[in-house]
Amino acid sequence: MNVREWALITFTILAQMSVGSFIVLGIVHYFTAKKSGEKQADELSDRALLAIGPVLALGMAASLLHLGNPLNAYKAVTNLGTSWLSREIFFGVLFAVAGAVFAVMQWKKIATFQIRNLVAILAAVIGVALVYSMAMVYMMPTRPSWNMLTTPVSFFATTLLLGVLAMGAAFVANYWYVQSKNPGCASEQCVLLRDSLRWFAVASIVLLGFQFVLLPLWVALMAGPATASAAMLVGEFGVVFALRLAFVFLGAGVARHLFVPRGVESGARKSDGHGRVLGVRARPCR
Amino acid sequence: MAKQLGFYFDATACIGCRACQVACKDKNDLVVGQTWRQVVEVSGGSWTAQENGTWATTAFAYYVSLGCQHCEKPSCVEVCPTGAMTKRADGIVVVNAEQCIGCRYCEWACPYGSPQFNEAKGVMTKCNFCEDYVAQGKKPACVDACVMRALDIGELADLRVKYGSVAQIDPLPAANLTRPSIVLTPHAKSSTHGDVKKLALDKGGMK
Repeated sequence: MNVREWALITFTILAQMSVGSFIVLGIVHYFTAKKSGEKQADELSDRALLAIGPVLALGMAASLLHLGNPLNAYKAVTNLGTSWLSREIFFGVLFAVAGAVFAVMQWKKIATFQIRNLVAILAAVIGVALVYSMAMVYMMPTRPSWNMLTTPVSFFATTLLLGVLAMGAAFVANYWYVQSKNPGCASEQCVLLRDSLRWFAVASIVLLGFQFVLLPLWVALMAGPATASAAMLVGEFGVVFALRLAFVFLGAGVARHLFVPRGVESGARKSDGHGRVLGVRARPCR
Repeated sequence: MAKQLGFYFDATACIGCRACQVACKDKNDLVVGQTWRQVVEVSGGSWTAQENGTWATTAFAYYVSLGCQHCEKPSCVEVCPTGAMTKRADGIVVVNAEQCIGCRYCEWACPYGSPQFNEAKGVMTKCNFCEDYVAQGKKPACVDACVMRALDIGELADLRVKYGSVAQIDPLPAANLTRPSIVLTPHAKSSTHGDVKKLALDKGGMK
């Protein structure tokens, strides 16, 4: 197996995870604020927000390990005119700065709710530009198997999927924490946490399903201009590729099993109404 | 028209001896794993049974010797995030080790396998057209080493007048991708698919 590019893969995954987490958390915050007010929404998302920074920092540190000459790394943004790699690093740093500014404002409650919202939207847009640049790095006419629509589409799908899963993990941790302080918690926060987790589970299953469709589509698209690459995929890398498909399928199953409470499956089949959150039996609160 | 130096290669003359590859390695003191000039073998054809019990064949083989193509539209220069990879006024594409961060993006972008990574130095290296020799009015080491006189250099416009404008024979990618500054005399059996693929480099057992 090719392990030469592990630093690059780590960077790509962690950067996508941080952008996805930021966007997913923003969506959760938006709907929670609409439903239960700004204060509840802040309480729900503030702890998870602080987890995003270290993820991005770790990813950027990993990217340095990819370089043969990391001491020169600061020069990587000097060819913004034609190099998508330059743009990737530029937007990466910009996203880190904007995200950090927002996190500090949000944590210390600096400025009004509206101004903080604007900063968050700006950071999210920069994050989208970052993921787009990351995908465009691979869009080269001289590499026909990468130079396909499936590259940016799968980058964004992965971004959202990693965001949902990372925030799912953060919310589960938060849920455990709240439960340990207040067993059998029936406060609005606990309800909101459970509701969010349920949506995360549904979203991750949908996104995993989407990726399951995307992978074979990519192979089909390659048949034209990149026959040699397609042949490698079913030959040399066939086992790895099959494993990837199997893991996507397995992931959807695990997500469904862990997060979607049985009662949600079918309204007709009444269950006891207890949701399961990663093995923790949650008591009904409504 | 802007000045652009280029290589000429005659596929009808090359015997695949790899003297050019060795001369390049020697002149540029290349480490194991690096071959700025690479000779690739292309073969094909088949055998068909005839009615009289004999077999007819269309089997063929020819060689292509490639340095850097010093492209008119070099993808390595375009993608380089630091500007370490540049195209000089005379058309030679060079990499500045001082600027290079060793991200190897040029290695991905080049369809000819020209930029090559030096593990020990952590930077990219590539064929520089023997710029020092050229500056002294001499020819690159590969050209002078060729026993079949299959290689030459010159002003690209002059080479095209003299030898035509073929820049794409198997196993080379489509010439419109990077507009390589090379003129080829194709072998009689050369096809010109321009099918982009990573060159399956057969370095003749040499590393």
